[in-house]
Amino acid sequence: MTELEPGPPPDSQHHQVTGRKWSRLKLLLGGTTLLVTVALAGWFAWIDFKIRRDFETLQWALPARLYARPVELYVGAPVSSEDVIDTLQRLGYRHSDSIDGPGEYSVNDSVVQLWTRGFDFWDGEEVSRQVELDFLGSHVNRLLNLSRDSEFPLLRLEPVEIAQINPDTGEDRLPLSLSEVPTDLINAVVAVEDRRFYDHFGVDPIGILRALLSNLRAGAIVQGGSTLTQQLIKNLYLTQDRTWHRKIEEALMALALELHFSKDEILAAYLNEVFLGQDGNRAIHGFALAAEYYFGRPLGELPLQDLALLAGLPRGASYYNPRRNPERALERRNVVLTRMLDQDFITPAENGEARTQPLGVSERSTQRGRGYPAFMDLVRSDIARDYDAQALQTEGLRIFTTLDLRIQNTMEAVLDGAVADVEVPAPPGSPPAPPLQAAMVITDAVTGEVRAVAGGRKPGYNGFNRATRALRQIGSLVKPAIALTALESGDFNLATVLDDSPLNITLDNGDSWTPTNYGNEMYGDVYLYDALQRSLNLATVDLGMRLGVPSVINTLRKLGFDGDVQPYPSVLLGAVNMTPLQVAGMYQTLASNGFRSPLRAVEAVTTGTGERLARYGIATEQVADPVSMFQLEWAMQGVFERGTARSMLNRLDRRLPLAGKTGTTNDLRDSWFAGYGGDLVGVVWLGYDDNRATGLTGASGALRVWSDIMERLNLQRRQLVAPAQVSWQRVAAEPVHTESARDCQSPLMLPFRDDQMPPPAVNCESRESLINQLFDRFRSL
Amino acid sequence: MLSRLPLLLSLSIMSACATYNTGRVPVSTSSPTVQRETPAVSGGQRSQPSVSPAQENVPPEPVPESSREPATPASTLMVSVDDAIAAGDLERAAAISERALRISPRDAYLWYRLADIRYQQGQYTNAEGFARRAQSFAGDDRNLSQDINLLLSRISQASR
Repeated sequence: MTELEPGPPPDSQHHQVTGRKWSRLKLLLGGTTLLVTVALAGWFAWIDFKIRRDFETLQWALPARLYARPVELYVGAPVSSEDVIDTLQRLGYRHSDSIDGPGEYSVNDSVVQLWTRGFDFWDGEEVSRQVELDFLGSHVNRLLNLSRDSEFPLLRLEPVEIAQINPDTGEDRLPLSLSEVPTDLINAVVAVEDRRFYDHFGVDPIGILRALLSNLRAGAIVQGGSTLTQQLIKNLYLTQDRTWHRKIEEALMALALELHFSKDEILAAYLNEVFLGQDGNRAIHGFALAAEYYFGRPLGELPLQDLALLAGLPRGASYYNPRRNPERALERRNVVLTRMLDQDFITPAENGEARTQPLGVSERSTQRGRGYPAFMDLVRSDIARDYDAQALQTEGLRIFTTLDLRIQNTMEAVLDGAVADVEVPAPPGSPPAPPLQAAMVITDAVTGEVRAVAGGRKPGYNGFNRATRALRQIGSLVKPAIALTALESGDFNLATVLDDSPLNITLDNGDSWTPTNYGNEMYGDVYLYDALQRSLNLATVDLGMRLGVPSVINTLRKLGFDGDVQPYPSVLLGAVNMTPLQVAGMYQTLASNGFRSPLRAVEAVTTGTGERLARYGIATEQVADPVSMFQLEWAMQGVFERGTARSMLNRLDRRLPLAGKTGTTNDLRDSWFAGYGGDLVGVVWLGYDDNRATGLTGASGALRVWSDIMERLNLQRRQLVAPAQVSWQRVAAEPVHTESARDCQSPLMLPFRDDQMPPPAVNCESRESLINQLFDRFRSL
Repeated sequence: MLSRLPLLLSLSIMSACATYNTGRVPVSTSSPTVQRETPAVSGGQRSQPSVSPAQENVPPEPVPESSREPATPASTLMVSVDDAIAAGDLERAAAISERALRISPRDAYLWYRLADIRYQQGQYTNAEGFARRAQSFAGDDRNLSQDINLLLSRISQASR
């Protein structure tokens, strides 16, 4: 049977084999197709998932923005028309003869008219208004609300942005919602990048075909076929890879994006995402930031031609960069205008008007200066305990600082030249010296807010920040603390007679210390106030040793010094290291009459939308008794009138009284001046980083630099209300130890605590004059 | 609660002071007369600070429109301070007071208001510091001085 049974014919066998192969192939093909389909479906599902996930939670890393203190305008505000115009220019206001909208101003002699943009400050909204400011000298004389034609009390300009803390990506942007974007810009972008944006589904075959044809016709690539949706994908996923695989993936992503999101959502994301320029290591993304970067103005204030210019940039932000390639940029702008005209977005008249306009690009990004590195150091240390680097780089925080641009910029403009004026050249033949260095801190005398900082002689340069890091001996700047210790003890007064004569102090380790006066002179009997005003070392050490070094250190602590100090007698001559910022903190307490307010560089932190996160208000604590402070103040005002700062008497005459103290250290290594008016405290340090001698005393160096700067700042005079417990008493002009030597011919009037009398040897108060005085006091009530 | 009488009194006394005040003369080494200050808000409307215990928050009584004098920067800001207090946002009230103080740093009344706000927030060290600063500028204003002293004693009681 088996034998009889024929085997399958060769044909059929062949057929069978072929059929089997075929079905295997089919199976294979089917399987492959299935696999490919499944893989494709999986791929698409993955893409779909990724797009939805990424786009729904699309959050850009937004840098923290730092703002200077806003300019306050009110009648009597110490602001000149130049100051206001400077601020308006930094804010990108447009100078114009007629004011048509927010962000414009005009000037007519002492009258400045402006239309403010308004700003949503966290402590209250500042609305947009049309105002007229009338100036008289360096003050605001009148404030008029133009829309109501009435005077009004005060106004805050928008704060100038001074810096930002960028994310690691270097990307920067100012996200806007679509409703905030001018229609002309949307039209321009659609016209030039994707005219069928509202009709396609993410990919535009017609557009690709058209692009292909134009490119063939031109023989070069003149038009791209990718839609705004595809461009957004490219920008979001930063793909430089141009393989077919990537192109297909991008197309699929675009389809998925269109499937799940509306045209408006896609357009808004595109307008905020697209790369439009590079500013150093900062990448300019989105049209709102580009408007600020190229024109220094908000997007909403730009005219048609400027919007057209911006709309032309996505094609090649570097190639069409209007600052570097103005001709190309102009050409590109006009291409955009033509497309807008072709697509009926603008009229021929509008097109004609716009294309004749110049580029209008600002010199540089007006909002951002070269930065204020020394001040930024302070800001960082102030907020470091509340915000980590990640939050600062990504959450778009707004940080409202205490920096006053008028003060900072004036200081920066003057400092280098003022230092050059006092610098002592190296003697001929000696190796060239490095430049004399400087640091300065200016604070608000009332609130302790830091208004300006220079970390070096050229403050705009980032480098060693001497204001916060250079620990130097303070020399005679310590003396007010000694005088205050004495006055507060109740055992001394301004007319206490001290002994300015040779001293030999045996130290704990057995060494002896023999301090000397500057110039090695000695003055014998001197009044306490005089020893301070003329900065006499021997009399001061005499006093300090009677008080005890620890009690002087205690006073330094009360005044706000929190650094290291060893209780050696040399502390009495300033052998204690402080940074200029620490000195400013201490003198701040003197300037506010014994109320210590820690220095601050930040006032508030808000979210990007203005909700308050943290506030750093004025803190204050009374650390010295008011009568002692009043007496000390009187003595320190005399530093200008007859003490170590009298060289500035003529120059500062009309600003007096001011108070301050010079400081000089051994071998003239450091030249200090710390001084204050009614409004500001300023501390200047001059010296070399390697500690070599400067050839300058506090008076011949730092005081002159201080005066150059504080004079330009229009420093206000000191105003002090005498506490009720102060009584004025007559004291002999010359300090003596015996009543027989007393000369009451032309006595001095000094402030005393009302339960204290001048020392008998110098007391010139007769019984009669005491009665008069009582009568005077009665009359003054 | 304080009655409104001392406030009215202080207002009338201050406006009287303003008429013979010789202006702000700084301390000088040659003219040792005791100087007095014109409070910057004295001409404008003054609202009464809350001196209620720290836990309570009583909004100030509104002042009729007709009694308002021309607004100064400080008096305008004080209206916003009152609004912020009424809205329960004491920190905002403090911030606006500070803004007013930057404009009129020698106005005892503004320091007093800030002291009162910090007192209501339970920040007694600062409250005392501000009240003492207010005292140092209060000069002849006896009613204000009285209010400040009252606040100081409340602070000292509360912080005990």
